[in-house]
Amino acid sequence: MAAGRSAKRSGWVRAGLRVTVAGAVGLGLLATPAGAGAAPELPPVSPEDLVSSVIAARHEPFAGTVELDNALGLPPLPQLPQAADGTSTARVWSGGEHQGRLSLPTAQGERTIVTDGTTLWSWDSADRTVTRRPIGERQEARAATDPTAAATQAIEMLRSTSAVTVDGTAEVAGRPAYELVLAPAPTERTLLREVRIAVDAEKRMPLRFSVLATGSAEPALQVGFTDLTFGAQDPSLFTFTPPPGATVTAAEPKSTSPAPGAPATSGGPTVVGDGWDTVVIAKAPAEGRESPDLSSLGTPVSGSWGSGRLITTAVATAIVTDDGRIAAGAVPEQVLTEALST
Amino acid sequence: MTTQADPLPLRRTSAPLGRLLGAELRWVLRRPRTLVMLGLFALIPVLIAVGVVVADRRSGGGLIGAVAGNGLVLPIAAMSLALTLLLPLAVAMAAADAIAGEAAHGTMRGLLLAPVGRLRLVGMKAFGVLVVAALATTVIALVGVLAGLVVVGGADGRLVTLSGTTLGLGEAVGRVALVVVWTVGQLAAVGAIALAISALTEHPLVVLASVLGGLIVFGVLSAIPALEWLQPYLLTSGWAAGADALRDPLPLDGMAESSLRALCYVAVGGGLTLIRMLRRDA
Repeated sequence: MAAGRSAKRSGWVRAGLRVTVAGAVGLGLLATPAGAGAAPELPPVSPEDLVSSVIAARHEPFAGTVELDNALGLPPLPQLPQAADGTSTARVWSGGEHQGRLSLPTAQGERTIVTDGTTLWSWDSADRTVTRRPIGERQEARAATDPTAAATQAIEMLRSTSAVTVDGTAEVAGRPAYELVLAPAPTERTLLREVRIAVDAEKRMPLRFSVLATGSAEPALQVGFTDLTFGAQDPSLFTFTPPPGATVTAAEPKSTSPAPGAPATSGGPTVVGDGWDTVVIAKAPAEGRESPDLSSLGTPVSGSWGSGRLITTAVATAIVTDDGRIAAGAVPEQVLTEALST
Repeated sequence: MTTQADPLPLRRTSAPLGRLLGAELRWVLRRPRTLVMLGLFALIPVLIAVGVVVADRRSGGGLIGAVAGNGLVLPIAAMSLALTLLLPLAVAMAAADAIAGEAAHGTMRGLLLAPVGRLRLVGMKAFGVLVVAALATTVIALVGVLAGLVVVGGADGRLVTLSGTTLGLGEAVGRVALVVVWTVGQLAAVGAIALAISALTEHPLVVLASVLGGLIVFGVLSAIPALEWLQPYLLTSGWAAGADALRDPLPLDGMAESSLRALCYVAVGGGLTLIRMLRRDA
C-alpha cells in the first residue's frame, strides 16, 4: 500500500517536472522571433518588368500590419519623440482604389486616419479631435501613361547614377517577394549602400522598403508589412462618424501652390549635384512653435563657408549654418561643405 | 442489488472534489481580510470616476484621460491600473495564506495528513487563489461599469473607442468581459508563481515580498533599453495589451500573446508547487 502510494507520488512528481519544463520551454519559444523562411523560388524577372508590373498593378483590398524600424540615429528631439530610434507599428486597411484606413496605436491612445475617397478624416484620441479634409479629384495622369514606358523611363533615369537589379527573393509577411535593389554607382559619394524594395511576387505590391547605410548590416530604416491578408474588407472600415464629444474641425483641401497670403520666404531650396549625392540647401525655418529647436543639436563645425552645427545620422548629414542656411543630403560632411562653398 | 451491498463509502480514501472546493471557498471568503480587500477594490473605479468628474477637463493622454465624458472606458482603465500592482498584491496575499499561512499556523500538517490526495490539495489551493483573482477583477469591472455610467456618464451610454469609433452598450460590456477574462489569466500566472513560493516557505510575508519585489524588478528590467531581448520573457511586458480592448477593430494578437505567456508561467508555477507539495513531509 505504502509502496504503491509512493510510486504513484513519484509519478506525479515526474509529471510536475514535465509541466514545469514545458512551461519554461514554451516561454523560450514565445520569445524566439519567427525566423525568416528560406528564400522562395521564383521565376526570374528583369527590373523593367518588375517596375512596370508594379505600376500597372491594380490596388486590391487588403488588411495588414506595418512595422517601422528606425535606426537612423537621429538626435533626440524633445518636440518629436517619435523620430527617435525604435520600432512602431501601424494597422492598415485598404478597400481598393481610393479607400483606406490607417491606425497608429500608441501605448494608451491612437491616431486614426480614414478616407472614403472623397473625405479624409483624421482622429486623435489624446485630445479627441477630428479633422475633416475634402480630397480633390485624383490626378489620373499617372495611371493613364503606359506603365511599361513609364517603368523603362524611370529605370533609365536611375541607371545613370545607380545599379538597378533584382537581387534574389525574400519572404515578407509570409508572402514570396522579389527584391528590387538600387545601389549607388561607385562614383557617387553617399552614405547609403543600397535601397531594397521587396515586391510581392503575385500581387506586385511593394511589401517592404529598406535603406541600408554603408558599414552596417542592419537596415538604417525599414518599413514593411509584418502581416498581410488580401481580400474584401468591411466597407464600414472606410467610413468615419465623429464620436459624441469630439471636436470636429474642417480643414481646407491641400493645395500644391502656396497660399496667396504667405510671403515667399526662401525662394525655394537650392539643389547641388544630382543622383545619390544631391545636397539640398534651404533657408532655416523661422523660429516658431512648429519648427523643432535645432540650436542645441549637433557639433559645431566651421570652414571657408562659415560656421554652423553638424548633425549626423546613419543615412544623412545636415549642417545648420549660423547665417540660417540648412544643407542636407545622404552624403558625408565633406560633400556638404563643398556644396555650401559653391 | 449486489452493488449496493458493496461498502463503497469505506473504500473511498479521499473526500469528493466538490466538497473540497466548497470548503476552500468558504475558508477563503470568510476571511475578513479578503472581504475588506474586495471592498477596497470596489472603491478604485469610484475614486477614479470622482477624480475625473471633479477635475472636469481632459488632462492629456493616457487611459485615465480617456475616461472623461466616456464612462465605459472606466472599467478597462481601472483594471489596467489595478493590474500593475494592486491585483497582483491581492493574488499574492491569497496564495501566501493558502500554503505558507497554513504552515505558519500549523494547520498544514492536518491538511497533509487528512485523507486528501496531494494533487487535490494543490488543486484546491489553486482554486482558492483563482477565485480571489476572479472576484477582485469582477468587482472592479462591475463597479467600473456602474460608476462609469452613473458618475461619469457621457457618450450616450456608448463607448467611444481609442480608434474614434462608437460601440453600443452590449458590445462595450463584451469588451469589458474580455478584459476581465484576460486579466484573470494574467493574475493566474502571478498566482501560480506565488503558490510555488508559498509552498517553499513557511512565512507568508516572504511570498508577498517576492511577488511584489519580482514585479518591481520586472518593471525595472523592461525600462532598460540594453535588456530589450529580455522583454518577451517578462510577464509584465504584455500588460499594456488590456488597452487593446479599446481599439476598433479589436486587435487580439497582443492579448493572445500575453495570455500564452501567462499560460507558460502557470505551467512553471503549478509544476513547481506540485513537486514541492508532493515531496513535503507531513
